[in-house]
Amino acid sequence: MKIAIVGTGLVGRVLALNLLKQGHTLTLFDKSSKDGTSAAGFTAAGMLAPFAELETAESIIFEHGKRSIQLWPDLLKEIGLFDGYKLDGTIITAHPQDMSELNHFIGTLKHKVAEAEEIEVLDKEALTKLESDLEQHNRAYYIKDEGYVDAQRFMMFAGNYLDMRSEVTWRENTLVDKIESGKVYIDEEVEAFDWVFDARGLGAKEHFSDLRGVRGEVIWLEANDIDITRPTRLLHPRYKIYVVPRGSGCEGMDIAYCNECKISQEPGSKRYIIGATEIESEDTSPLSVRSSMELLSAVFSVNSNFGEARIVNTETNCRPAFRDNLPRIENEEKLTRINGLYRHGYLLAPAIVEKALNEGIYG
Amino acid sequence: MTKHMQTNENTWEIGGKRLSSRLLIGSALYPSPANMEEAIRTSGSQIVTVALRRQSANVKAGGDFWNIIKSLGIEVLPNTAGCHSAKEAVTTAQMAREVFGTNWIKLEVIGDQYNLQPDPFETVKAAEVLIKEGFEVFPYTTDDLVVAKRLADVGCKIIMPWGSMIGSGKGLMNPDNLIAIRKQFPELKLIVDAGIGKPSHATQAMELGYDGVLLNSAIALAHDPVKMADAFKYAVEAGRLGYEAGTMQQREFASASTPTVGTPFWHQFNEEV
Repeated sequence: MKIAIVGTGLVGRVLALNLLKQGHTLTLFDKSSKDGTSAAGFTAAGMLAPFAELETAESIIFEHGKRSIQLWPDLLKEIGLFDGYKLDGTIITAHPQDMSELNHFIGTLKHKVAEAEEIEVLDKEALTKLESDLEQHNRAYYIKDEGYVDAQRFMMFAGNYLDMRSEVTWRENTLVDKIESGKVYIDEEVEAFDWVFDARGLGAKEHFSDLRGVRGEVIWLEANDIDITRPTRLLHPRYKIYVVPRGSGCEGMDIAYCNECKISQEPGSKRYIIGATEIESEDTSPLSVRSSMELLSAVFSVNSNFGEARIVNTETNCRPAFRDNLPRIENEEKLTRINGLYRHGYLLAPAIVEKALNEGIYG
Repeated sequence: MTKHMQTNENTWEIGGKRLSSRLLIGSALYPSPANMEEAIRTSGSQIVTVALRRQSANVKAGGDFWNIIKSLGIEVLPNTAGCHSAKEAVTTAQMAREVFGTNWIKLEVIGDQYNLQPDPFETVKAAEVLIKEGFEVFPYTTDDLVVAKRLADVGCKIIMPWGSMIGSGKGLMNPDNLIAIRKQFPELKLIVDAGIGKPSHATQAMELGYDGVLLNSAIALAHDPVKMADAFKYAVEAGRLGYEAGTMQQREFASASTPTVGTPFWHQFNEEV
């Protein structure tokens, strides 16, 4: 089939990888460049945390998340990204004065899914054994079977892979005005396809009137003296931050680790993504002073050696969300729309794409 | 909504508006905007507080969130959450007046970064300025009687002492202080703001004769915010009705409300003291 995918962010890329396996011919449209750096999926920390997300999400997110975790390894192998996925568990902790936050967190999880009963409680000794650089904390929860995808490298590797395939035509910097069944409208011109996928995210507002952008902000740190290997969340009465390790970069690869950053990485140093604020505003202006103070003071309290870390980059972006914060799939004749993955992009994309394809083009 | 709440005698006036619900509700911390919308509707509340974070002060940018708030069709009470000085609070209030088109402002000046305890000195200072500028000020304060006096002195018609620290869910830490403020200012509108954790806390505040209760976390952080909103609706009504009905005097001895003659002894142990 001759297929169009409009929007080549995270969902568009996962769609393309899936459809290529079935031998389809693809035309990819994106209003920005194909490197994907303007997509929300490029700003993401790429957390795979179906349990931890339950604090504010519904159990459907949990089910899709578990499925995505099964699907990611094959997707990443396909594009040659062999070290872009880690599933060694995540850590949830809080300062001693905020223990009620931990109790509230675990209570909410247990209320929502029975599996949460199995989450392991760590005392200081057990925590230090697992993550020696979290020794400042007395108590934590350890959620096995959670982890992360190296979001930035996924975006780049997937982009390069798709670019090299002869079945793929990539039309970047092309604004699609409207999408209808089997049709893509560009500057009053109509192009016909056997099937069209709408993966435009916030660009699809002409169709989804209830779509909104939720601002998120992240800071990239480079630290020589800190070795935290698992994504770690610090619960606090007012802001919840996560620290996601990004390792030492691409060994032997000539792809820059982060397109935006101009600072070359010190050999042996490690990078961490610090996020994530949630601001109800469709605003992609640079990181605010208030947010940076919250994020940095919180990360400093996780381990004071972060005081010597270098700030290599800050990024802001907006995630597309519907009012219920749940993803939405719309299937009709020759047309599939996927949107509203909100803060759960990497957690949901493979499972939602699989579901959308099974209910639509393969249905 | 039950019948008695719809009758005219059970409406009340605050900030120039006549309302029936005495529950003021916050709009933060819900799992999703859709859940917030349903919880607020279920609560029957007619006043919703909205934080004007400076980052989202751009109405156009924050558009969809404000649209949801507006679509509720109830009074919006913007707040100055996150301000640490009178000057900052006044600026935020002025911005809020433009954004929301209301002269109502929940004045919140924080004096301690960690427990968010209000700064009484800066709050009084800001209240004075805002009242002169024509705002209807809803000041959030501690349960200190003298601070309440100062706020009344500068012209506040509404005072909102805390039950306990914001977000703590500990309920009414010091009911005697709240009673003292109520007795001192029978003519002012008094709202217990912050610290409410359970429906019974809200009932207790209303039983003290407070005009209303303002809360957010207790509903938004419940496992089921919509159900908890329903619970608070009834809790506030129950407390108000209890206050209006006039509670009996406590006694220092047991007093059976039914004659003990002919009552099996195991029932007698259940009599309330």
